[in-house]
Amino acid sequence: MTPRPLTVALLGNPNVGKSTLFTLLAGIPTRVGNYPGVTVEEKVGRFLHRGRQIDLVDLPGTYSLAPQSPDERVTVDVLQGRMAGVPRPDCLILVVDATNLERNLYLATQALEVGLPAVIALTLSDVADRRGIRIDADELTHRLGCPVVRVAAPTGEGIGAVRDRMLDAIGGPPPRPLALSATDAPTASGVTRPPAASDAIARYAAIGRLLEGISGTSRPALRLTEDRIDALLTHRLWGTLFFAAVMLTMFASIFWLAAPLMDLISAGMDGLSALLEGLLPSGPVRSLLIDGVLAGVAGSVVFVPQIALLFLFIAVLEGCGYLSRAAFLMDRLLVGAGLSGKSFIPLLSSFACAIPGIMAARTIENRRDRLLTILVAPLMSCSARLPVYLLLCGAFVPDRAAGLPWLPLKAAVLTGLYALGVVVAAVVAIVLSRTLFRGPPQSFVMELPGWRWPRPAVVLERAREAAWSFLVNAGTLIVAVSVVIWALMNYPRDDRSIDADVTALRTTLESQIAATGSDDPERGDLVAERASLDTPEGLESARRGAAQRQSFLGRGGRFIEPVVRPLGWDWRIGCAAIASFPAREVVLGTLGVIYNLGDVDPGEEEGATLLQRRLKAARWDGTNRRVFTLPVALSIMVFFALCAQCASTLVVIGRETGSWVWPIVTFVYMTVLAWLGAFAIYRLGLFLGW
Amino acid sequence: MVSLDDIPVGTTVRVQDVHGADPVSLRLLEMGLTPGIEIRLVGRAPFGDPLELEVRGYRLSIRRQEAARVSIGDR
Ligand SMILES: Nc1nc2c(ncn2[C@@H]2O[C@H](COP(=O)(O)OP(=O)(O)O)[C@@H](O)[C@H]2O)c(=O)[nH]1
Ligand SMILES: [Mg+2]
Repeated sequence: MTPRPLTVALLGNPNVGKSTLFTLLAGIPTRVGNYPGVTVEEKVGRFLHRGRQIDLVDLPGTYSLAPQSPDERVTVDVLQGRMAGVPRPDCLILVVDATNLERNLYLATQALEVGLPAVIALTLSDVADRRGIRIDADELTHRLGCPVVRVAAPTGEGIGAVRDRMLDAIGGPPPRPLALSATDAPTASGVTRPPAASDAIARYAAIGRLLEGISGTSRPALRLTEDRIDALLTHRLWGTLFFAAVMLTMFASIFWLAAPLMDLISAGMDGLSALLEGLLPSGPVRSLLIDGVLAGVAGSVVFVPQIALLFLFIAVLEGCGYLSRAAFLMDRLLVGAGLSGKSFIPLLSSFACAIPGIMAARTIENRRDRLLTILVAPLMSCSARLPVYLLLCGAFVPDRAAGLPWLPLKAAVLTGLYALGVVVAAVVAIVLSRTLFRGPPQSFVMELPGWRWPRPAVVLERAREAAWSFLVNAGTLIVAVSVVIWALMNYPRDDRSIDADVTALRTTLESQIAATGSDDPERGDLVAERASLDTPEGLESARRGAAQRQSFLGRGGRFIEPVVRPLGWDWRIGCAAIASFPAREVVLGTLGVIYNLGDVDPGEEEGATLLQRRLKAARWDGTNRRVFTLPVALSIMVFFALCAQCASTLVVIGRETGSWVWPIVTFVYMTVLAWLGAFAIYRLGLFLGW
Repeated sequence: MVSLDDIPVGTTVRVQDVHGADPVSLRLLEMGLTPGIEIRLVGRAPFGDPLELEVRGYRLSIRRQEAARVSIGDR
């Protein structure tokens, strides 16, 4: 009979080397997920020691066992054996940073009171040695009645000892709790303190006595170098400049470095779909596989480079201790909007793509700040909006405004759209933090960890884990959504009414040609479109357009026409807006199909020009009035700047918040704002006669 | 009452007490800002807030709003 596996939990403050120790003990985790009901990450690894199988659980970093946050509650529940799916640990490894002994022992001594066998791992012992911090581990073991093991990750010192002491402790007597004395927390001049506060004061006093004579510092010189680095990096000017440089590098890498990788993935997927196209007979199955499933797979895999790169960056910044400094530097700017300094990197990343940005909000421990950051992140203009802006600005915004000859108008509109997202996000965050998220004052008590070299293994693991959890959790849902959208876009399908539609198109074009004078510049386009109906490709494109207009989505477009009319849109634009639910940039492709161009590539010069010309020529059904004017183009751009037409973002919000409420809230509030914004700019445009 | 919020950068002071009985005050105590301990104001962020403190040999950042709860005396 093999003995049952043992459960061992790693417990410690944030940033003390828990993950590093986890990797050294158990390697790559066998399971990463969320604890049931909460969005706190659960990480389990497995290893064998002396023939026993050990399940190692990495608990979230906490400062205290008096729970204040969901993370801390999870930790307490796991320790008590109250967490569903996680057996009560057989032993605790208390991870204690040797360079910060007093504060770390606060949690460790609280944990000793839980009554579970425990081993204390004094991590970062190499750093402590270099700083001249000496700790008598044997004497500490003796005084605490709990084994204390020196650990240094770079040399692997202490890993074997931790494993041995751990098995020894299981079955041994439980550790003694540290004796607290009530006289250590005198209640000054009649103030009564809550018991937890008195406990904190008494505990620190007891820790002071515990460490008397067994720890000390001999070399303050190294501390001074660290102080200098710190002073420079939090300096008003140099610190801010350095910060700007770091953020710029990070942003540039997810914006540009990821691009070739994403192109590579797209090219690979295109190749695969071409292969499938050759293998399968044309028909609904092929269409489902290629336009539904494969498009969904491509649509999720394509985010992986950005996610991996961003998390690589975050892990490096976190590992060396700069992440907290960045939050420290930016806090003031964001606190006015009800956010905190930690929201900066997630929001900045969202300018490249909201998905890695929302995932980066995992670094925000405060639940309220994290949720608020996630809710406003999709308002930052991501790179998927840029093609929409560029195409419409290119076609409908004049180069110069009348009366303002010095202003490059296209660039000004583009800048305005980016600014719009930021301003609206700030307003939404302010409003939400004063209403839905109002609550007791939140503490911003953040440790600024010492400067360290990040460990490549930990950094790579972080990036791998982020990418993997995205693919497994969100990716599958994105594929499902893609299949649903495919079905809505392809059904119902009735060949007879498609033929009727094409015939009607032919008649309309002929009457339009007859109505336009021979000197009209658009006559050429109309003649060309009419002529294309006689070519097989042109006919196929027209039939595809007709099929799409008939589909559920197309009908949806007609159905919502009364809603989009006030924005200056005809039903085709409404249809394209609905069809772009999988991703904003799809709207251009959809417009191409709706306007009978078939599959144009708006990313290429030729496709873009073709689409721009077709849009310029578009008329309201049965009239000679143009659909696309400057106010309409602005209304579309503002709508896309603010709307939540990105299924993947909504899926990721659902995954990261662990609830379907938040994606729905996001979709509703953003769509309402987008509509209002589009309406306002359209009306303003009409009023000013643009 | 002189609070932590009022002192110039670089000074070392002794914590007298942390006022308030809510989770914020408890967290300050738990982080080691207990009565009698010596702390140093290392710096301020570029916009003046938050503050960087040295407490029990490590660096802690708190906002001015929280610092105002910490009354201090001379070393
Ligand atoms: N020199 C040294 N660095 C370490 C040691 N343990 C962890 N680190 C570094 O400390 C930082 C934080 O470690 P991590 O494992 O992420 O801490 P966690 O937040 O507790 O999981 C990383 O940069 C690690 O590379 C150690 O024993 N020695
Ligand atoms: Mg960790």
